[in-house]
Amino acid sequence: MADPVMTLEMVEASQMGLKAVGAGLAVGLAGVGTGLGEMGIGAAAMGATAENKDMFGLALLFTVIPETIVIFGLVVALLLLF
Amino acid sequence: MADVGGPAPYIYVSTRMRVRKAKLIPREEYLRMLNMSLPEITRIIGETEYKKEIDELSSSFSGVNLIEVALSWNLAKEYQEILKITPSGLMKFVQSYLRHWDIQNVLTILRGKTQGVKPGKIKEVLIPAGELDRNVLDRLLAEDSPERIVEAVKGRRLGPVLAAGLHEALEAGSFATLENELYKNLYGQMISDAKGGIKGGHEFLGYIQTEIDTRNIMNLFRFRAQKTSGEAVKALLIPDGKAFSVDELVRMSSIESLDELIEAAKKKATDPELAEVFEELRQQRPIHEVEVLLTNYQLKQMDRLSKLYPFSVLPILAYLEMKRYEVTNLRAVARGKEYGLPNERIESYLVM
Repeated sequence: MADPVMTLEMVEASQMGLKAVGAGLAVGLAGVGTGLGEMGIGAAAMGATAENKDMFGLALLFTVIPETIVIFGLVVALLLLF
Repeated sequence: MADVGGPAPYIYVSTRMRVRKAKLIPREEYLRMLNMSLPEITRIIGETEYKKEIDELSSSFSGVNLIEVALSWNLAKEYQEILKITPSGLMKFVQSYLRHWDIQNVLTILRGKTQGVKPGKIKEVLIPAGELDRNVLDRLLAEDSPERIVEAVKGRRLGPVLAAGLHEALEAGSFATLENELYKNLYGQMISDAKGGIKGGHEFLGYIQTEIDTRNIMNLFRFRAQKTSGEAVKALLIPDGKAFSVDELVRMSSIESLDELIEAAKKKATDPELAEVFEELRQQRPIHEVEVLLTNYQLKQMDRLSKLYPFSVLPILAYLEMKRYEVTNLRAVARGKEYGLPNERIESYLVM
């Protein structure tokens, strides 16, 4: 049986595919991390707001702080793709 | 509250308790109240968390009665609200803690009935914070004899003990022994709940043992004041404390000199803070000051434990206890002012 011939196009295509997988993992896993971080903060923020309505603005601010992690993931993904 | 998985419900509740704890009346406010007249105190209380109750009740009560009833209502409401937000995994523990109030309410009704007090009057001093809510208590108040009342609560957890001791209590004309038995039984049940293998039981056990210890030490000092010692006190102590066993306490009760007692107690106390409390008790104090000191220690201890185990029942219980003493304090201030007691005297009764 003859060896299958690897052409240059095939190599480039598989590299592109792996980059896409890496980019997907970067955003996806960062999103999971963000979710875990926001779980505790969100619960506490809800509790504080339930007791005192004025806390809402501050609570919202604290809740979105872990969003930065997703943005890091997104940056890495974009760097990989372009 | 329906449970979602993970720590979220616990974080939610413990945050809410922290915010509520921060809203409790601070020490300076009590000291300010001591220099006010009763109407001014009512106004100040009406500006705090008790506003709704004061407004609601001001048409039917006045003066010190208004404050008293508003405080009890608020306390009961607070407890029921907290039960609503308690994660279901902790529900059992909070309910078992709240059974304190059931015992208090049922005994108040029984005492009132045997003394021939009018149901309306008895109702003013009930705090419907436990399992027996307002409707059940109203039904009990409508019953005409102590036997019927006990019959009505037969199915509850305090039923059997109550039924067993009622006859004796009525003959003796005092419910003190029955009350003791009920509380001992309650602590026994709480400990078996805590050791029942439910998650979070270990922390709950820590709280109960702290409470049993402080109660026992309080009782020890009460016995000293009444010159009771030895075997007579054994029946009145609660078993299963952490620092002191019943036998040790019985031995300690027979020590004559206060200095020796303090030394013996300090040797046994593993907690340095408790040792400090004993150091404070070295000088002869009136019994209510001893109680205030020990209560303060207990609240501090609970606060510390609740920060150590934020994902447990402790933040809730710590807040409930603090709230209970806030109500007791306000009541003491109001009553003291009503009877014209000097400020220092009232202050010595406050847990701050």
